[in-house]
Amino acid sequence: MCGVIGVIYKNTEAAGLASVGSDLIKMLESLEHRGRDSTGITIGGVENKSDYIVRFRIEDQNSNALEMLSKGISSIGAVIEYSGFANGFGKICVNYEADVGKLANTIADIDGVEVDSIGTNSEIVKDVGDATELNDHHAIGEIKGTHGIGHVRMATESKIDVSHSHPFWAYPFPDISVVHNGQLTNYHSLRRKYQDMGHKFQTGNDSEIISVFLAERIKSGLSLDEAISESLEVLDGTFTYLVSTKDGIGYAKDSWSAKPLVIMETTDRVAVASEETALLSVFQDEIDRFEPQEKECMTWLV
Amino acid sequence: MVSIDASKLSTRQINVRLTELIGARKDIEIINPKARHNIIVGILAQCNITVRGSLGYYCASLLDGPSVVIEGNSGWALGENLMSGNISISKDAGASVGASMRGGNICVGRNAGARAGISMKGGSLVIGGDSGFLTGFMMQKGQIIVCGDVGDAVGDSMYEGEIYVGGDIASLGNDAIIVDITKKELISVWDKLEENGIDKQPEFKKIVSGKKLYHFDKLERLEKSSV
Repeated sequence: MCGVIGVIYKNTEAAGLASVGSDLIKMLESLEHRGRDSTGITIGGVENKSDYIVRFRIEDQNSNALEMLSKGISSIGAVIEYSGFANGFGKICVNYEADVGKLANTIADIDGVEVDSIGTNSEIVKDVGDATELNDHHAIGEIKGTHGIGHVRMATESKIDVSHSHPFWAYPFPDISVVHNGQLTNYHSLRRKYQDMGHKFQTGNDSEIISVFLAERIKSGLSLDEAISESLEVLDGTFTYLVSTKDGIGYAKDSWSAKPLVIMETTDRVAVASEETALLSVFQDEIDRFEPQEKECMTWLV
Repeated sequence: MVSIDASKLSTRQINVRLTELIGARKDIEIINPKARHNIIVGILAQCNITVRGSLGYYCASLLDGPSVVIEGNSGWALGENLMSGNISISKDAGASVGASMRGGNICVGRNAGARAGISMKGGSLVIGGDSGFLTGFMMQKGQIIVCGDVGDAVGDSMYEGEIYVGGDIASLGNDAIIVDITKKELISVWDKLEENGIDKQPEFKKIVSGKKLYHFDKLERLEKSSV
């Protein structure tokens, strides 16, 4: 089944950063019945004075992976501005002016290190278990930003672990990530196509291809809006997916309207979710809601 | 009228409390529903229930007799398998409203999502606004009245029954055809709208099954007489 959510604040330039983390957790908690295997979020527009925020994991904490990570990053001339690590989950802020792909490969190539995200103003936090556990372990509710997306997972397409949890970062494109409710039927052929182009997939999950596809199209010059529209022609299967970028979020729905999505919008905020109950967890009043239909997509920018 | 505050009860407690109050022949209102699922299900008695707010999935389902008024929206499959009674929702209904309904009346004040009236086997489904993709998919009996526009593939693979559309038809489904509507039929559809408190009289188009997909050797009694 799975549940997806997203939120974006429109007036953060004037009003300051918003409680995006708290919104995401409230919405995910109200969708726990749609999946408890794993839960994850992307928060965009977070405060960051360095070039990149890296979120990573080291599964065997006794290994010397953390030391190797620090050496590896120095070896390519990058400078670590901030570093935090607890219970296998780490976050570093890095200054690095060269190609971000090299930074990503350097970190991902270290034995025992998994990269969850690299972003200029966004970060992904995901873990097995439900939304309450995610918040208890990672203090998501305290993170402020301008926008974000989230996911509760009931696994159907690949194994249950942190790597196969949503959101999926479009390795190695900074700030682009996707949450997906559904199943893609042309995943393997698309994956082969992108592997032939030299792309390194991080997981065996079908949803990863959506973020890679969108990132490749945006890199080639399309706007987020155009890339999402094109995905409606390229992706086959059932999907309602949400994408988060450096400066906004968007959604697309498949041609059978097989997976749900409802939207509420006020003057300062847009929230989208698989179910209205999640929207009512962050909006005090019952305001009008909009239900997109088949083959529809939309984007909102900060 | 007795009030049930949904915010203080589990889904099961809400439905048990409903059954108790219906046994005591009370009119009931449900407050703070917060779009939760599976509320008002399996009630087989005549009673009046008003919901102040939005409901989630599979609400007002498996009913035989109640009159339910919802002041808000609903999620997927409102009024699934309705046998008799009346369901009226003031705003939007999600996908699959009236799925497999066999009788009674459902009125959606504004728009319905995809697959409205999927596999319906009787009764009437009235939609004041637009209706989504695959409206009346595989319907077997009954009538669907859409005052606004319908999405693609309306009436796909329908067996029997009628779909009336007041606005634009994005496309007809497999074996769905538009036939002439008589003045008498048009007036009866307008009467149905009036019964449901909808103050509109669109020039409806009538959609029925073309019956080219029929491959049955045993027809219903009424069918036989027309063959």
